[in-house]
Amino acid sequence: MGSYLIRRFFLMLLTLFGISVLVFTMLRVVPGNIADILFDAAGMIDTAEKGKLETELGLDKPIVVQYAHWIGGLAHGDLGYSYVSEKPALQEILPRIPITAKLAGLALTFAILFGVPLGVISAVKQNSGLDYVLRVISLSGLSMPAFWLGLLILMAFVKFFGTIPIYTDPPHGFWNNLWLYSVPAAAVGFRSSALVMRLTRSSMLEVLRQDYIRTARAKGASDSTVNYHHALRNAILPVVTVIGLEAAFLMGGLIVTETVFNIPGVGRFLVEAIRWRDYPIVQNLVMFIAVVAVSINFLVDLLYAVLDPRIKYS
Amino acid sequence: MASIDIVPGPADIVRAESVWSKIRYHAAAHPLGVVGAAIMAVFVFAAIFADLITSYDPIKTNSLITLVQPSHAHWLGTDQMGRDIYSRIVYGARISLAVGLGSTFLGCVFGVALGLASGYIGGWVDLVIQRIVDVLQSVPLLVLALVMAAALGPALDNTILAIAIPLIPYTARVIRSNTLTLREQPFVEAARAVGMSEFRIAVRHVLPNTLAPLIVIATAQLGAAILTEASLSFLGLGVPEPHPSWGRMLSESAAEYMHTAPWLVIFPGVAISLAVFGTNLFGDALRDILDPRLRN
Amino acid sequence: MGTKFVALATAILASLTLCNANAAEPKHGGILKIYHRETPPSLSIHEEATFSVNAPAMAIFNNLIVYDQHKPQTSIDTIVPELATSWAWDKANTALTFKLREGVKWHDGVPFTAKDVKCTFDLLQGKGQDKFRKNPRKDWYEFVSDVSTNGDFEVSFHLKRPQPSLLAMLASGYTPIYPCHVPAAQMRTHPIGTGPFKFVEMKQNESIKLVKNPDYWKKGLPYLDGIEYTIIKNRATAVLAFVAGKVDMTFPTEMTVALEKDIKSEDPTAICEIKPINVNTNLIVNLEAPPFNNWELRKAMMLSLDRKALIDIILQGQGDQGGSLLPPPEGVWGLPPDILKTIPGYGDVKKDRDEARAIMTKLGYSADKPLKIKVSTRNLATYRDPAVVLIDQLKQIYIDAELDPVESSSWFAKVARKDYSVGLNLTGNGIDDPDQAFYENYSCGSERNYTHYCNKDLEKLFDQQSAETDLAKRKKLVWEIDKKIQEDGARPILFHARTGTCWKPYVKNMTIESNSAYNGYRYEDIWLDK
Repeated sequence: MGSYLIRRFFLMLLTLFGISVLVFTMLRVVPGNIADILFDAAGMIDTAEKGKLETELGLDKPIVVQYAHWIGGLAHGDLGYSYVSEKPALQEILPRIPITAKLAGLALTFAILFGVPLGVISAVKQNSGLDYVLRVISLSGLSMPAFWLGLLILMAFVKFFGTIPIYTDPPHGFWNNLWLYSVPAAAVGFRSSALVMRLTRSSMLEVLRQDYIRTARAKGASDSTVNYHHALRNAILPVVTVIGLEAAFLMGGLIVTETVFNIPGVGRFLVEAIRWRDYPIVQNLVMFIAVVAVSINFLVDLLYAVLDPRIKYS
Repeated sequence: MASIDIVPGPADIVRAESVWSKIRYHAAAHPLGVVGAAIMAVFVFAAIFADLITSYDPIKTNSLITLVQPSHAHWLGTDQMGRDIYSRIVYGARISLAVGLGSTFLGCVFGVALGLASGYIGGWVDLVIQRIVDVLQSVPLLVLALVMAAALGPALDNTILAIAIPLIPYTARVIRSNTLTLREQPFVEAARAVGMSEFRIAVRHVLPNTLAPLIVIATAQLGAAILTEASLSFLGLGVPEPHPSWGRMLSESAAEYMHTAPWLVIFPGVAISLAVFGTNLFGDALRDILDPRLRN
Repeated sequence: MGTKFVALATAILASLTLCNANAAEPKHGGILKIYHRETPPSLSIHEEATFSVNAPAMAIFNNLIVYDQHKPQTSIDTIVPELATSWAWDKANTALTFKLREGVKWHDGVPFTAKDVKCTFDLLQGKGQDKFRKNPRKDWYEFVSDVSTNGDFEVSFHLKRPQPSLLAMLASGYTPIYPCHVPAAQMRTHPIGTGPFKFVEMKQNESIKLVKNPDYWKKGLPYLDGIEYTIIKNRATAVLAFVAGKVDMTFPTEMTVALEKDIKSEDPTAICEIKPINVNTNLIVNLEAPPFNNWELRKAMMLSLDRKALIDIILQGQGDQGGSLLPPPEGVWGLPPDILKTIPGYGDVKKDRDEARAIMTKLGYSADKPLKIKVSTRNLATYRDPAVVLIDQLKQIYIDAELDPVESSSWFAKVARKDYSVGLNLTGNGIDDPDQAFYENYSCGSERNYTHYCNKDLEKLFDQQSAETDLAKRKKLVWEIDKKIQEDGARPILFHARTGTCWKPYVKNMTIESNSAYNGYRYEDIWLDK
């Protein structure tokens, strides 16, 4: 187990290194840099002046030097300066993380709260009318674009309540926070809950067919004991994996949802930064997202090992 | 829909010999899959015969009929430029199918190549490919597609490519694990014993046996690709105007009319959701049939 | 539910206050909340060229002179003193002297003097030690040879030749006076001005906050305690925020007719004004790229345009046909309708298109053998939408065009390189003034003359009108020039857009300018009646 962890950890570092190279080069393949954009926004075409700005920002240096500069800075905890706001990148990124984290956390809570119980019900009542209805609902959750659902929710809110949960000021207090975040979280979480439900269902069905469940039933354990005590505990394992993976993939839904609901979180910031070619922000932000994704995967693996003693690592 | 009630018994399985009867047998067992196939068929039909089933040019603007409510002349209304929404949705099926099929195909080709090489050759090739796959998988799909789309510029073929790349890692993963088990199968050993080259074994014997899971993955990714195109278009990248792409129809300008002309927002969204819903239903059924390990 | 109640209460309050609006004395206090369409690149007005910057930043600064903030049509006649108390031309009309206001302090307490004025114009002309990162309006001061100070409170502009329009440029929201003691780089992150409001903070994608300057040199002003901009990128979301009462005002000139209708139906008490913004949408054709070097082909394209349809589709009728300058009555210099009618392409669309098709047939094109072209445009809705309609109109004369959306960041560079054949562009005018429009867009060497149109005789007329001090004579010359430019198809103008701004009835003293979108945001005497 120990050596597995060490190996896993080094592979993780290797992956992160790969991501840093990928993001770094990809950004520089994208046409236009911050100088182009700033000058274009000002309707200017003065190439000499533009060259000066590029030199000032170090964009004229060879790409390898730029990369080394970035990684060297990272090692010292220096993320560089945002090209647009000219403030330290860390100062720009940090305050946005809790905003997105709250949204993601609520969305995941939503996903588990609805996904797991409905998945269990669907499995226990397999092929019943209820099962079909639940399956269709969960599939439609996977089929709707998150931003469209967000727009529909906004439209409905204005129609029925005359107001909307749009972020205009940072909310204060628990209830304000909940009011502001729960609606967009539901818009994102709907998809995740559908996924969790599907997985719970199929994993539950598989477990219900196992010998030990049959044995338990044969021994006269009641249906509910079998379903919820024996089966669910074992069925939950693969679900944990997917929840872990989903946490990382939630990001895509968050980007568009943050745009629709005007939430100044990490996702929308990233889209803007890509638009401005604000390299220091994009690089560090994508790295941050990757670190979160990779760590979650790592944790899920660990959790798996703890929850399922049958798994051996070599 | 009476077939829903028919529960296939052992006798049915014995009779299921011809392809047609096989299809009938599986259709009876998976009524939701049939619904999915029907939905997909409708969209494919619309894409192919778009010219025949619409009476308006999807690109033609008309100042006299802007923002017309759904009516007899314009079933789903018109947009802010006087273009018929129904015609645009029908023609949009072409774009969505092109993007969906194109990027799924590309993603699968690269995914299979990488997965097969990784699983069959093993060793350092496997290690390197797995790291590449790790890297691609750790960046959220939309983020990757977003940067790719920005890098390539807005055009149909670029959008297909931008969506295809994030689809590669998952395919590669599944094909690799499949190949790993297949590699140890007796028929591979046998082929090796008669002196077949490794490349031939991989392509002739291993590859065809990964087809079933591949089809399952591809159907799932078809839906994902259509959704990603919609998100990209919503964020201002993706397939450019005046192509009637569903995602583009929902983006920027249309969202501004969600109040005064909700049909602009509702119908293209329904088209996307329905198309993806159809592929998902069909994909589920296909998975149950083709991938016995996941069969419920 | 709390929010709903508040919304209801404000609605009732709003309707109550509407009744006695006229009787009310200005009230002090309150924070004006406005939504902002995007995060501005910085708040350093001199370095930027979008009113996304002017709108929030103008309230931080003062000019020497400024357009009267409550006269909708800005012109030389509506200019009032600000940091200057008076101004005078010398006999030769080549020296302009300003007497400056005493006792004015910068937001950091340093007193304002003539040195600050000199520093500002040294920066603009690239003469000082300190440099701007970008200097988009350097050309405005092309005819200024020097700025000199005489003591702490007098400053003179010396010109190479008479240029009455200099006053128009100095009065623009684009021309604030910057402090000498604050580096240009700091002005981008934390601007210091003498204006009615002080900069507090700007958070990307979130907000811009300004707070009342208690030491403002206009005693008793500003009325507001502060101004807060909430950044909302999605216009539909922004409208919802306005209707729900989360903001008191929409971003200036951002409402389309449809959105304005939407607002009025949800909140009938809202006050909305739809006015020209002096931005024109135009067709650019690369005169050097075959087959477009053929004048007949270009003429056919000019004749294919249905401007009314364009205005109806893109602006729901809220737009104007005109030449390169904003048409009257809102515009001061634009071509009057009776001259406009005589220009090819502005008459009977059906007849013009028949003529265009005849030309195309002569050139060897037909419905079966159309001319295939690409229409390049910036990948933004305001550019893309009219391009889509344009493509449809060109189809009428056997031109099969495809849209080529260009990433925003490379658009100007691309057209400046002449790396396009046909394009659709937007030209915004900071001030309603012929000098800026003609020299920038139509003079032979100008880098923003995207079509490479060059007419030496006309250029002489540019100079002649620029130096003309008699307003009536100058106007005649300007019309003559504009007519010629349109007839030559230098850059066919598709339309001049009108857009809307809405605010709640308790926002008082708001004036939206009718011939520019860059000059009316001082906001020192706006007050809230609640």
